[in-house]
Amino acid sequence: MGRYVVRRLLQMIPVFIGSTLLIFLMVNVMGDPIAGLCGDRQCDPATAAQLRKEFGLDKPVWQQYLTYMGNVFTGDFGTAFNGQEVTELMSTAFPVTIRLTIVAILLQIIIGITLGVVTGLRRGRPVDTGVLLVTLVVISVPTFVTGLLLQLLLGVEWGWIRPSVSSAAPFDELIVPGLVLASVSLAYVTRLTRTSIAENRRSDYVRTAIAKGLPRHRVVTRHLLRNSLIPVVTFIGADIGFLMGGAIVTERIFNIHGVGYQLYQGILRQNTQTVVGFVTVLVLVFLLCNLVVDLLYAVLDPRIRYA
Amino acid sequence: MLLEVRDLHVEFRTRDGVAKAVNGVDYGVDAGETLAVLGESGSGKSVTAQAVMGILDMPPGRITGGEILFQGRDLLRLKEEERRKVRGAEMAMIFQDALSSLNPVLTVGDQLGEMFVVHRGMSRKDARAKAVELMDRVRIPAAKERVRQYPHQFSGGMRQRIMIAMALALEPALIIADEPTTALDVTVQAQVMELLAELRREYRMGLILITHDLGVVADVADKIAVMYAGRIVESAPVHDIYKAPAHPYTRGLLDSIPRLDQKGRQLYAIKGLPPNLMDIPPGCAFHPRCPLAQDVCRTDVPPLYEVTDSDADRGSACHFWRECLHG
Repeated sequence: MGRYVVRRLLQMIPVFIGSTLLIFLMVNVMGDPIAGLCGDRQCDPATAAQLRKEFGLDKPVWQQYLTYMGNVFTGDFGTAFNGQEVTELMSTAFPVTIRLTIVAILLQIIIGITLGVVTGLRRGRPVDTGVLLVTLVVISVPTFVTGLLLQLLLGVEWGWIRPSVSSAAPFDELIVPGLVLASVSLAYVTRLTRTSIAENRRSDYVRTAIAKGLPRHRVVTRHLLRNSLIPVVTFIGADIGFLMGGAIVTERIFNIHGVGYQLYQGILRQNTQTVVGFVTVLVLVFLLCNLVVDLLYAVLDPRIRYA
Repeated sequence: MLLEVRDLHVEFRTRDGVAKAVNGVDYGVDAGETLAVLGESGSGKSVTAQAVMGILDMPPGRITGGEILFQGRDLLRLKEEERRKVRGAEMAMIFQDALSSLNPVLTVGDQLGEMFVVHRGMSRKDARAKAVELMDRVRIPAAKERVRQYPHQFSGGMRQRIMIAMALALEPALIIADEPTTALDVTVQAQVMELLAELRREYRMGLILITHDLGVVADVADKIAVMYAGRIVESAPVHDIYKAPAHPYTRGLLDSIPRLDQKGRQLYAIKGLPPNLMDIPPGCAFHPRCPLAQDVCRTDVPPLYEVTDSDADRGSACHFWRECLHG
């Protein structure tokens, strides 16, 4: 197990270098960052050249990358063009997005798995068909539609929630945005759990558990669920990375100043340092999530642990 | 009688129609007795056992008639909660494929101990000790260490021993073994079968052994019930049936056993295929494959005739049992 973790950590190095380099190059082709600074007017060539020199933009790209990475490892993500430290932006944006992700994941676990178990055990009954239909709708409708609709109905028409989240972004204000963010994954979790439960319900070891005279709830939770949740846990784990980075739409709708919001602003303003910085951290989050999922897999399934 | 199945009917409702899997089965087992239930796949032998255990998939399965008397109580009239307490504690089942029948993500100790935790209210620690004891009983070496292992870390024979240990855990009055050795290597089959027979003697349990292996039956069974298309077609003490079968289907089965003294000759096989359970032939279900079939077989369902030519308690569901017995 220990050696496996070490090997996986080592494998993360080339992935990390490759993906950050790619981002770095892509942001570079995005356009001249200096041009964006001067707004609509043409920049004064002398000022532009000076700024270029100041930010090290006159050096070749690979050298820029090396300098940048060197700085990143000392905790310096650079300064945005407006003079704000990127780390400062991160320290306000990440806690908000992490809270939002926690809400979304919890909703996925609580609602998704419950619905999945209920429908999986009652396959073909009205409950099952109904839930299945709803999940299909949720998957088909884009997040911005569900988001705006909920905002309009719950926030504006009925006044149940604040239509836009305050800058402190406490947990209770994040419930509806969290639901919107989780919606598609939630539908997938429901379907995945349902299929997995329905499949394992007919399995021999469940039959054995029944033949042992175990109470029904024990058969379901201890025998059926333990086995059926292996693919679901994998999905949810991998989804954490997606949710952290993919909150752009949801954060825009509910005016949440999190990672997605900052990224969006950074791209819009061609703020290279912000974009690269945030994406670098997201890459790390993503890699760590995947590692945790793989380790979790081994914890849940002894056949993998001892293989 | 420990267990008595009377006129049991089970059918499965599927999209293609109703499959009549069990059509009026009667059999009984006494304490300390071994009944072998013999038959091809689809003959209803496993379905009957599952109905007795109360683990039939319902739906699509449905018990449409009959009684299952166990220690004098009709199990089919019990509430599910009472029925559950009978399962595992008073009657237990051993399944064919131990690998898929054991939970892959729980240790064998947990799965064995669970019986004591649920039915006897023991603590996990005491249950673990009981599990080790059971594994010793079924002669699994190094039980103390292996109790923490998972099913996939055991060999096929050892896994089936764990299944046996699990069935024996609460010393039930009846054990149903559904083809317990089919998934095992031939060399291991005999060991497992011997162990099962020995433990049955020791605990004086009734045993229903479901099999299609006639070789296994001869050694361990007291009596045999042969099933075909969801009915018992012949029942008899084990030695009588080997000496002279009273049903052409049993005769066909016995003739299909490869024999060393008939080297070089083509193996005998019963001609035709087992009947489609959605469309069982009228009259005697076996008539399309029977060498003795007459017109009456195509119209009249033969009852289980008492075989009067024998001292033993025998029955045959063949209009021409006498011809078969002496022919």
